[in-house]
Amino acid sequence: MTPAPVPAAAGPPRWPRALLATHTAAIYLYLYAPIAVLVAFSFNRARQTAVWEGFTLSWYGELLHDDRLLRAARNSLLIAGLATALATLIGTMAALAFATPATPRARGRAITQVLLLLPVILPEVVIGAALLTLFGTLRLRLSLATVLIAHVVFSISYVALVVRARLAGLDPALAEAARDLGAGGWEVLRRVTLPLAAPGIAAGALLVFTLSIDDYVITSFVAGAGATTLPLHVYSLLKSGVTPEVNAVSTALLAVTVAPIVTAHRLLRREAGGPA
Amino acid sequence: MRRAVLPALLALAALACGGPEGARRLNVYIWTNYLPAAVVSDFERRTGIRVEIDTYSSNEALLEKLQSGVADYDLVVPSDYMLQVLGPQRLLRPLDHRRLPGIANLEPRLLDRVFDPGNRVSLPYLWGTTGIGYDRRKVAEPVDSWQALFDPRHAGRILMLDDMREAFGAALKLDGRSINERDPAALRRAAARLQEQKRLVRTYNSSDFANLLAAGDVDLAQGWNGELAKVVAQDPRRFGYVVPKEGGTLWIDSLAMPSTARHVDAAYAFLDYLLEPAVAARVVDGVRYASANRAARRLVDPAIRDDPAVYPPPAVIDRCELIQDLGATTPLLDRLWTEVKAR
Repeated sequence: MTPAPVPAAAGPPRWPRALLATHTAAIYLYLYAPIAVLVAFSFNRARQTAVWEGFTLSWYGELLHDDRLLRAARNSLLIAGLATALATLIGTMAALAFATPATPRARGRAITQVLLLLPVILPEVVIGAALLTLFGTLRLRLSLATVLIAHVVFSISYVALVVRARLAGLDPALAEAARDLGAGGWEVLRRVTLPLAAPGIAAGALLVFTLSIDDYVITSFVAGAGATTLPLHVYSLLKSGVTPEVNAVSTALLAVTVAPIVTAHRLLRREAGGPA
Repeated sequence: MRRAVLPALLALAALACGGPEGARRLNVYIWTNYLPAAVVSDFERRTGIRVEIDTYSSNEALLEKLQSGVADYDLVVPSDYMLQVLGPQRLLRPLDHRRLPGIANLEPRLLDRVFDPGNRVSLPYLWGTTGIGYDRRKVAEPVDSWQALFDPRHAGRILMLDDMREAFGAALKLDGRSINERDPAALRRAAARLQEQKRLVRTYNSSDFANLLAAGDVDLAQGWNGELAKVVAQDPRRFGYVVPKEGGTLWIDSLAMPSTARHVDAAYAFLDYLLEPAVAARVVDGVRYASANRAARRLVDPAIRDDPAVYPPPAVIDRCELIQDLGATTPLLDRLWTEVKAR
């Protein structure tokens, strides 16, 4: 993420550094100013969104008494939790399969790998529309379960991607050494490979949680009765205009999504510092 | 991780089976802020039916769900023009009027309209108008015509809805034409008007128009009455709302039952409950839109009932028009609107 520090010994003129710092500040302002404004206005006393009238926490108080919103939040957490568990399991298994050395009989490996990663590249609208058509064909009634199925579909690829990258960086000698010392295939997996892959698996899981909890496009296609998630709810609030309550929900959603990302980042950093 | 799997599978199974089914449940798919929570919970208490509310933000989202054939909703609230799409596709279930004695409470002006002759599949629920919200501090002269939105004196202080039909509606009305005009020459004249107007327009916006007016970012805003009425109610001396004398758009959102509804009895019970004047009045008090329930009007909070922005006088309703599907003329209108927005 951060560029390597420029060696100070060269003693370059100062102005390029100042220019670079200004440029960096401007980029970060561009990235974060909208979010900062949103967070700030969630504490705004005024009902209108564009005028500052003083600090208040009342919008957050209103959130806690909003039954529909709480239900939506509960749906989102439930779906995100289940999608994370299922996608992490399936994605990790896929990554392990692709990490085993290729044998001459393992034909179609390249194509299956590409197919597994395709959902990352496909536009969400395409996935959403395709799933809705599929559910329609199967006469599968839309509900919270169809949302879960959809989230697992697009999440597996991300887990597989992250875990496979981690496994690729592992020294195959470690597993060989374990086998030399008499460990069976299952034991090697359980006591060597999985612990070493754990940071990648955890990072994948957190990524899935984040993707699931803020997904709008795919969810909007496949959500059924009683399956309004937080992003769907927030979007539908916009019809009656942006209120500070929407800002407050968005800020809360932001906190819930940023926390796992930061944790994932930490885990991956620890991995970088671990034995190579 | 393995420990997480079993609970996950159990929860998945629970999700797939859903809760207890049958007549004791009702799934409503409705616009946001269209059904006060207390109105719903009273119905639940009275009947023992559990009501599940999900919300959507556009008619097109509703259409997509109903077209899938696997949506599990028992009541939906499409707008007028969407009923013209849903009805012919047989996505709605014909209503048995004998089961809905409360229909007699509805405003006859809103019944039997072109989008659903004889109210075969829908009952009007809430309705409103498109007009102009304005800031009296900045606009000295009285506002009573769409001309105000085309007046160079307000250059840079005008907001237009980012909505093809509404924008063309204002321009067509100025030419004395119908909102549903199909004559290409008349549409081109309207497009030229909008083109001319564009340099005066601060922004095209259909989600936040009321807030921009309230914040003083614009002095004149084309908009739907519900949101503008809230701004006017906050500061009636500063803000006003008017349906121009040439007439504006009338919109009617109606209750309807999808053909895939599974809890039909519960849906009829809820429809008849909403037709009760006292219940309809509580809906209006909660959402600040006019109800199609005529008998409810005298029970509505006087501040809302007497607000002409919410309940315009009958003469205003009569000079407003419903937006109708233009059929083969739509592509031309699409192209003209794109040109207006692009240049």
